[in-house]
Amino acid sequence: MSKPVAAIFLLAASLVHGADLQPLDEAGYQRLLASAKGRVLVVNFWATWCAPCRKEMPELVALASKYRARGLQFVTVAIDEESDAPKAAEFVTKTKVPQPAYIKRFQNDEKFISMVDPKWSGGLPFTVVYDRAGKKVRVFPGEVDIRELEQVILKAL
Amino acid sequence: MTTLAAFAAALVLLGAPGKVDVIKATSLDGKPVEIQTAGKITAVIFISTQCPISNDYNERMKALYNEFSGKGVQFVFLNSNSTESSADAAEHARKNGFPFTVLKDINNVEADRFAAEFTPHVFVIGRNSEVIYRGAIDDSRPADKVTKTYLKDVLNAALEGKPLPYTETKAFGCTIKRVKKST
Repeated sequence: MSKPVAAIFLLAASLVHGADLQPLDEAGYQRLLASAKGRVLVVNFWATWCAPCRKEMPELVALASKYRARGLQFVTVAIDEESDAPKAAEFVTKTKVPQPAYIKRFQNDEKFISMVDPKWSGGLPFTVVYDRAGKKVRVFPGEVDIRELEQVILKAL
Repeated sequence: MTTLAAFAAALVLLGAPGKVDVIKATSLDGKPVEIQTAGKITAVIFISTQCPISNDYNERMKALYNEFSGKGVQFVFLNSNSTESSADAAEHARKNGFPFTVLKDINNVEADRFAAEFTPHVFVIGRNSEVIYRGAIDDSRPADKVTKTYLKDVLNAALEGKPLPYTETKAFGCTIKRVKKST
């Protein structure tokens, strides 16, 4: 494929997928973890089809905003198929989810789930907290208890 | 490890409930139901009326039921979501033309015992009442992208007494909405 054709293809793809969501694969997740070292990182896995995920997102966004200046990085990964990417992007925009926000493009869902946490079965929502050294300090399967999450964040900060 | 030892080890899954002699649930019209597992291969599937992932598997669950119930596999479809009533589950079963019975797992007792986390989450119980498989039905939410038919392959192997191709798999799904219990 020539460079101009490839550029047009990528531009078209980004328009179709929603410009607000970055595709994330297994290697990308590892790069994300590495780049976040020095900050406390909270990763929230959600999906447009997941009602409790959509419900808890505004509180998570508010918490992210509250502690951003103190060194908290909040990242979301949408577990949506390509066909739902525009809907996911719309939700991210509407809910003011911090950028960059991601959408799954894993090679293998099962391996990715185990890589994030061996005890995670794949149920959503799922939230992971990493400390400044990049060590996983807590996972929240299902909806988070926002006060509990705040305590974990404060301790890590 | 010998093949036999590996097979034996695979029979007892870490974190699984071990032996499940009886599954206790409630029919959608409120009657207690007990299902014995001894001597049978039993597929327990936790489903939801509202979860889009679970609903995407409705046709596949119907096909699996139609294929394997005829071969002697016992199916138990459980709704453990506290947010979905028996009436919801009955209406959902009727609308979707389920050929199988759905039972209500009140207070998510069975979901807790199996450590079922999402819908559709599957557990296969062998003839000796041990859980031999837990995980997903297959490897793709869109039916046209399935490459691995986990449950089908496990049931065929179990029926034929062959080593299981899978003992545990993972997939994205909706978390089971449990009742809030006081500590």
